[in-house]
Amino acid sequence: MLIRGIKSKPVYTPLAPDLGGRTHLMVGFGVGAEPLARLIADCALAGVKKSSRQLLYVTDKSASPEMREAMQNADVEQVRLFSDSASLLTQFEAILQAATMGTRLYVSGPEAFMGLVMRIADRFNLNRDEIRAEECGSPARRVHCIHCRAATEDVTTNIVQCVGCQRWLVVRDHYSRRLAAYMGVMIDAEVPGELPPIEEVFV
Amino acid sequence: MSRSHSHTFAVTVTAITQVTPLIKHFVLKASDGSQLPAFSGGSHVIVVMKGASRVHRNPYSLLSSPSDLSSYEIAVRRADPTRGGSVFMHDHVTVGMQLEIAHPVNLFQLDKLARKHVLFAGGVGITAIAAQLEDLKMGSVHYELHYSVRGPEHAAFADRLVKRHGDRVRIYHDSADQRIDIEGLVAAQPLGTHVYVCGPTPMIDRVIASARAAGWANSHIHWEQFSAPPVGEPFDVFLQRSNITLSVPPDQSLLEAIEDAGIDAPYLCRGGVCGECKCRVLEVDGVLVHNDNYLSSEEKASGALIMPCVSRAQGKKLVIDL
Ligand code: FES
Repeated sequence: MLIRGIKSKPVYTPLAPDLGGRTHLMVGFGVGAEPLARLIADCALAGVKKSSRQLLYVTDKSASPEMREAMQNADVEQVRLFSDSASLLTQFEAILQAATMGTRLYVSGPEAFMGLVMRIADRFNLNRDEIRAEECGSPARRVHCIHCRAATEDVTTNIVQCVGCQRWLVVRDHYSRRLAAYMGVMIDAEVPGELPPIEEVFV
Repeated sequence: MSRSHSHTFAVTVTAITQVTPLIKHFVLKASDGSQLPAFSGGSHVIVVMKGASRVHRNPYSLLSSPSDLSSYEIAVRRADPTRGGSVFMHDHVTVGMQLEIAHPVNLFQLDKLARKHVLFAGGVGITAIAAQLEDLKMGSVHYELHYSVRGPEHAAFADRLVKRHGDRVRIYHDSADQRIDIEGLVAAQPLGTHVYVCGPTPMIDRVIASARAAGWANSHIHWEQFSAPPVGEPFDVFLQRSNITLSVPPDQSLLEAIEDAGIDAPYLCRGGVCGECKCRVLEVDGVLVHNDNYLSSEEKASGALIMPCVSRAQGKKLVIDL
């Protein structure tokens, strides 16, 4: 994978309950349902109290109908379902605002979604030993234009046109946690309009 | 690691105050009149004391404000007379005298990303926390100190702290049976809170245990627990690389014996916490007496490593890689 060896990129491992925590906050998107379902089952097995488990989930078409249903009926204290990441993130931030020390965060979904969740978690000083994250689903990238600072979502190609300034950007492997995005740098600075072939690479 | 205490500089004692029956407070200025090196709250310095028969090097927390580099302040609790350093400071150091000290090192740092700081101190442990409070006072992040003292006569620092920090500081008098509700305090802190503790071992243990029981992750729990090198049985050590055998007397640490022989060994804290002095054990006939808080229990059990600043050996033979 292209991103290998990039220090700025978080390390993702399979989700497993952290028994040191007192509140277990699970956040997922689309196909992220699968690891979450496994995690919830493992929590129950490990004796993590149901009252300490909470789930926030974006119902996306990338998850099978069975999976979506599994999330809806998940064995947790409270399930909150959302139709898009933005509304989940707003609610997530409100929850963190009221949360206390002892909370553990579990995140599962495509990389771009996880990045957005992590960015908020960072603001609350949740550290590596309080977060577990498992990446699954689309490797599409969120790209930050270094020229106009707009973020282009769901980028699957090596080169993309910026939604903000319309410049053609080459998608770099440099990831910023703070921006939750990969850097995009203008490609045809020398000869405008002259582009190398555009290929689907993040699929 | 490139940090080293081998470079010391001269300071002059400009004031001494007996703050409690057991604690003396010293003000130190650079002997050449220059500004002292900058430091952050939580730092300590090693004070080199040249006694009649022996050189002592003891770590003391800097408790003055990091924003005032015209002088350093340290407080020294008179400890077990068999261990020379603190007794030397109490009985032999007078105003006007010169001491050597090493550059400040911080092994007890505030977390810069914290959203709130909760600090616990007991007794002379306040010295490690006092300068941190000065740093916190400059910042905008909420902080609170819970400080337990033996009784009114021991609360020398307490008045000063309350004056500077107001209701962010709460004093608990042991003699009036006032106890810090540690469990209650760690139970409901907002996300991003960091807890810090310096004081007697039972207090440190209780803070760590309570925070963990409340689900705190280790990255949010900080403590400073320098142990003084304990007295032990005499033993001999062979330094393989230097090719020399030394005898370590009961009241000297392995590190001190090595230094006395003129061999430069690495160290930072001299209290068994930083890991800097870690040394490989090549051979041991007998047992290692581990007194540090650095090695894991597995490492201690393996017998392959020793922290010469506080740990010793019991038995016929010890060979280390130095
Ligand atoms: S000098 Fe720090 S552990 Fe020995």
